[in-house]
Amino acid sequence: MMLPFLIIIPLLGAFSMPIMSLLGEKARNAWAILVSALTLGVASKVFYDVWSTRQLVVYTLGANTPLGKGVNFPIRILWEVDLFGALIALTIAFVGFLAVLYSIEYMKHDTGLDKYYTLILTLELGMLGIVITGDLFNFYVFLEIMSIASYALVAFRNDTWEGIEAGIKYMFVGSLASSFILLGIALLYGQYGTLTMSYLAVKIAQNPTLVGRVALGLLMGGLLFKSGAVPVHMWLSDAHPAAPSSISAMLSGLVIKAGGIYALTRIAFSIYATSINIKTVGWLVIFFGCLTLIVGNAMAVVQTDMKRLFAFSSVGQIGYILLGIGIGLAAYGTKIGDIALAGAIYHTVNHALMKALLFLTAGAVLHEAGTKNLNELSGIAKKMPFTSFAFLVGAAAIVGLPPLNGFASKWLIYESSALYNPFLAAIAVAGTAFCTAAYIRVIFTFFGAPSEAVENAKEPGKAMIVPMLVLITAIIIMGLLPWQINDRIMLPTVDMLKDQLHYVIAVVGGA
Amino acid sequence: MIPLQFITAFLMLFMGFYAFLYKRNLLKLILALDVIDSGIHLLLISFGYRLEDGTLPTAPIYTGYETLKGTPMVGPIPQALVLTSIVIGVCVLALATALTINAYRHYGSLDINKLRRLRG
Amino acid sequence: MFGYWDALYFIYVLLIGLIISYLVFKWAERSSMGTRRTGNGTKIFLSGEDEDNVVPQFEHLKGYFTGRHTMWGLIRGINRMFIAFRREHTGLLSDYVAYLFITVAIILGVLIIWG
Repeated sequence: MMLPFLIIIPLLGAFSMPIMSLLGEKARNAWAILVSALTLGVASKVFYDVWSTRQLVVYTLGANTPLGKGVNFPIRILWEVDLFGALIALTIAFVGFLAVLYSIEYMKHDTGLDKYYTLILTLELGMLGIVITGDLFNFYVFLEIMSIASYALVAFRNDTWEGIEAGIKYMFVGSLASSFILLGIALLYGQYGTLTMSYLAVKIAQNPTLVGRVALGLLMGGLLFKSGAVPVHMWLSDAHPAAPSSISAMLSGLVIKAGGIYALTRIAFSIYATSINIKTVGWLVIFFGCLTLIVGNAMAVVQTDMKRLFAFSSVGQIGYILLGIGIGLAAYGTKIGDIALAGAIYHTVNHALMKALLFLTAGAVLHEAGTKNLNELSGIAKKMPFTSFAFLVGAAAIVGLPPLNGFASKWLIYESSALYNPFLAAIAVAGTAFCTAAYIRVIFTFFGAPSEAVENAKEPGKAMIVPMLVLITAIIIMGLLPWQINDRIMLPTVDMLKDQLHYVIAVVGGA
Repeated sequence: MIPLQFITAFLMLFMGFYAFLYKRNLLKLILALDVIDSGIHLLLISFGYRLEDGTLPTAPIYTGYETLKGTPMVGPIPQALVLTSIVIGVCVLALATALTINAYRHYGSLDINKLRRLRG
Repeated sequence: MFGYWDALYFIYVLLIGLIISYLVFKWAERSSMGTRRTGNGTKIFLSGEDEDNVVPQFEHLKGYFTGRHTMWGLIRGINRMFIAFRREHTGLLSDYVAYLFITVAIILGVLIIWG
């Protein structure tokens, strides 16, 4: 089976990177690109398998029936992939490959690059592990792998004060949030005695107790931190500007989705679906989603630092995804809930592509002009036309202009929230208004008269242009076929996600 | 009997949370992270201790001298989980200490209130 | 499926928009170029200031313009909300931890009392 190779290949690549870098710089770059390209191949094969047969892929690390022939249940660490996990894994592998390709030229002037490539492959490995796992403690281990790699990467440029300060703030509060998640997992173990997600779902359905709900609350608190919801979003606005731009693209596009949104959805839908009052949990997520929409997009309007503006805009878009998931939980089982959940999943994939493009563009501008202060960067479109065009496509996609891919997912969220409760749709549209205002300020700056700081700017080299070109093509193609993608990929994902029965039966086997 | 192990674990957690909120020295924050982790580990291990028919359980090692229904054992799964978690905790602490040393070089002090250049 | 979307309608609207913007461009050229035919003054200004037209007793902006003053109506209209948000983002680590505890307390409170 191809599933264990999704972890084996990045793991082998990451740990043999210091040896490969002894052979020279070109060998190290070639090895990094080779490993991430192979991971992309394996991820697309896994996605195609799960999509074409619509069946869960279960992989046990060890023997299938360790207790002998009578008991059918593998008491092991399991990996269980359904369409949602396979889709996010494909997005992670795709954007990861483009980020590695981009950083070959972007990080040329830094030292210690073998540790950088090791860390970026470990980051990709941690995220891939989160989306394919079916066991709660395995999820915690992969979450910590991803988090520790991202702490080290945010503080990578340790000769500047910005990297160190952002790294310290992100690390301390991030470890505290991971401790909350571990506390929730420990309480679940103490109450129910098992940590396999499917078996835990069966046990919670038989015996819902107060401890189970406290554990859900702690897990939700920690995971809302990792996904960047308001009021715990402040690490995001410090850490994403301070990281190198290829890492910013991976952090803002993938880490907050895989470690936060995916885990929250998996725990809410596949473990706890029918055992709690799902309307309460849904309204809680909707409340945090609405707060995030307003505060995230509003703070993006008044920033002067370009990457900090993009980071706050990321916070705002997470508000849309949380709103979609909340309505999917609160209206569980109805058509409105399905549409909202499809919109949220579609927006996850879309925002990964759009925000990666925006951060790669910001990296190109920073690499050439040397500053990211918007007050000095006027008129860059004359010197770097391709980069400005890429920024224009990315900004139009995030705002939700029709021929691009942001339109379809935002439309689904607007419609489902308008049908569920019109007040939520008003908040969502207000969020889009703030988002448009923020990006218009940046566009106006880029297309003005040239200032002194951009006199020496020119187009970046080929290794930085190709990822931006690939992302622009992907955004435009996905934008021309929105309803086909929705009907063929997103709606079946929602069906498999809500189908807790098959998720459980694939492992427990009808026992 | 009073479950002293749970009370101690939660007391350690609360001490760690208090130190995280009210202390300003970066090294004390690192120690608070360590105390929180140790509290959760103590909580996890003490979930494995179960009394069967009133006999106290022993360490989960098969020595070959057990009779058929003689000595019950402590649950081994939480011990495996805690070992993994201790390793993760060590990794986090090492990275935090390295970042603290770097912060002292840039800012000249270990006070968390002085690390405020990124705001707004 | 909800909604209706056809690529051809958007291409029609795009073409009409391009024609309208070309007409507006020609009108702006006629009214702003005056008697200038070469140099920096032939560019149409986006911000409402003619570069060579110095009005006495008014400040005359030279150089480059950034986007700092666009959308000023939106910002100044709800300025108190923006000031409150900027004041909340203090940059202190204890504030970040305090917000995390408040969030977990709210979630636990709601989950224990209802549901």
